[in-house]
Amino acid sequence: MTRPLVLVVEDDTVMRRVLTVALRSNGYDVRSTDSGRGALREIETNTPDMVLLDLGLPDIDGFEVTAGIRRERELPIIVLSARDEEHHQIRAFDDGVNDYVTKPFREGELMARIRAALRRPIAISERREIRCGDVHVDVSQRRVFVGGAEVALTATEFKVLHLLAQSQGRVVTHSQILRAVWGPSQAYEVQYLRVYMRQLRQKIEEDASQPRRLLTALGVGYRLVPADGD
Amino acid sequence: MAAPIPGARSAIRAVAWALASAGLAYAVQPYAQRSDLEMIHLLVIVLIALRFSLRDTLIACTVSTVSFDFLFVPPHFAFALTDAKNALVFIAMFVVATVISTLVERMRRQEQRARAAAFQAEALYGLNVELAGLTDARQLAAVTVRHLERLFDARAVVLMRTPDGAFDGADPRDVEPAERAWMRREYTRVDAPGAKSIWLPIAGIRAPLGVVGLMPPESFAKESEQGFLLVACVNQLATATERVLLTNAVHRTELETETERLRNSLLSAVSHDLKTPLATMIAAATTLLRRHATLDRETVEALLADIVGEGERLNELILNLLSITRLESPTILLRRLPQALDEVVAEAVLRFEKRGESPSVRVNIDADLPLVSAEPLLLQQLLSNLLENGARHAGGEAVLEIRATAGPGSVTVQVADNGPGIPEQERDKVFEKFYRAAGSRDGGVGLGLTICRAIVQAHGGKIAARGRPGGGALIEFSLPAMAETPLLPEPSPPAEAVNA
Repeated sequence: MTRPLVLVVEDDTVMRRVLTVALRSNGYDVRSTDSGRGALREIETNTPDMVLLDLGLPDIDGFEVTAGIRRERELPIIVLSARDEEHHQIRAFDDGVNDYVTKPFREGELMARIRAALRRPIAISERREIRCGDVHVDVSQRRVFVGGAEVALTATEFKVLHLLAQSQGRVVTHSQILRAVWGPSQAYEVQYLRVYMRQLRQKIEEDASQPRRLLTALGVGYRLVPADGD
Repeated sequence: MAAPIPGARSAIRAVAWALASAGLAYAVQPYAQRSDLEMIHLLVIVLIALRFSLRDTLIACTVSTVSFDFLFVPPHFAFALTDAKNALVFIAMFVVATVISTLVERMRRQEQRARAAAFQAEALYGLNVELAGLTDARQLAAVTVRHLERLFDARAVVLMRTPDGAFDGADPRDVEPAERAWMRREYTRVDAPGAKSIWLPIAGIRAPLGVVGLMPPESFAKESEQGFLLVACVNQLATATERVLLTNAVHRTELETETERLRNSLLSAVSHDLKTPLATMIAAATTLLRRHATLDRETVEALLADIVGEGERLNELILNLLSITRLESPTILLRRLPQALDEVVAEAVLRFEKRGESPSVRVNIDADLPLVSAEPLLLQQLLSNLLENGARHAGGEAVLEIRATAGPGSVTVQVADNGPGIPEQERDKVFEKFYRAAGSRDGGVGLGLTICRAIVQAHGGKIAARGRPGGGALIEFSLPAMAETPLLPEPSPPAEAVNA
């Protein structure tokens, strides 16, 4: 099996070198560039399997790079940024990036996010069952099991969980969830969502006040991760 | 009746008195001595002198004397001064009339002057009292205008000079004369027909502070009584304005000094606290760089862990500094979202525990906590700081506890530790900038709790330090709760395959 090729787009030389070392030692092939245009060229010529993208680049910013990539292909993008404000994250997720890691970060966390992003995207029509750690979503029968025991969910709770399971490991923004489950008119009623998330957590978490599966990206959205994984 | 000569009316009245008294004397003549008649004559002269001006008195006196001479001094019904005694009596009459009239006139003038002085004193006192209570230059001007308009029954303006050399809010037609008075720095009368006005500079320590303009129906000189009153009023305005400006300047200086002091202590604290972890990181890294071949595995790992730990400490510090800068800016705009505290607490605890070697946290949250409207990352920072603070003060055996409860209209969160606690008298001080607990050994600029307070206050909440029952510190904050949110309806037509 060939090693996945990761493209590092980062203008800081030291960070670029550290990332290269970390990725190589974790079993990835690495190419790197220090500019947005360089990134678009690299993607054209070397077809990497995923991109680690800094937002603040000297020529064109990360959002433009994302737009440029998304016009062409579907490869996973993880943003690495020192900007932690929610609106940057929301914009990035709405633009279709797979994950957003704020600097500074720990190597372990970054590698976990990369592994999650590289998992084969789930073809919706084909998948009848989705697994995320010990959470098992049986799509065809609309049933959910946690650690083997069935959990009774309402229709809405099931839709929310299904959506998060399809994008597992990835943050799904509030508006993406609201639009997908309730339709476009509800896209901004964020507070309703909290209530459903609370209910869902009470059903699928051991301790709803300290969730391990259904995590919050504060002010941005939610993410389903395998419990105690990574 | 239009008087052809000014004061003719009073002269005629005085003469009428004189003639009436002569008539009276003529009527009583058969029953009286000549000396009695002279007494009547004298009495009338005295009465006239008391009531009328010197001129009128002299006219009346002449008429009276001539008529007495005509009626009573032999030869009767003829004008003749036959003996020296009579002549002497008449001269005495004139002298008495002149003396009394002059004295009375002087008294009258004094009284008038006293009345004018009292009026001015009262007017100035009224103005002074009102000006003394004010602390704003604009209000001073407005009050002065009101007083001047009442005292002089004329339009008045106060034009303060702005730093860029214009008159604040001046009517265009007032600018030219105001400018002239300001340049001359003197009482300036403008006597254009139909537009009489008087302009005075408001004296300041270095340059005039502005100009006062008055548009009276009749212009008056600086030396007149009205002129004196106007100048006095303007002087009071000048003193009051100067006082206000000085007070403001003192306030500004105090504020600047305080800001400067804070900035300096912030800078020195920050540079110390930024450099300490950096120094550790550089020292550890250079040791590893040069000696990694000879160091044993455990030492290498310990040094590496130090580098990571110090780096994270640096990161926290920078986040806190950024937040306090933002929270202290006067125009802070919070990016508020409806926020579930259980989610924020969970995130903060998760991050805290990920940091390794952190004590465990017990979380106890009411099931149906209302939402709060807050900026998510600030709330998370608030909780992180409180956990960090608890861990630091409780030391190795720390047990931390977060409890969130719903109160009427608010949500209350308590973060408690089992450390030494905060002495009662210091509980208010812990939120002050650069406060560090007595005997606290390790880092922290003393900004953590200050930021907590700033975050809570920015969201309209309250924060306080308390004692934890059974020992330890407890920090409690509460935030206003949002109104109950109804559940979204279940989407009616079962939406098919969910396409994100």
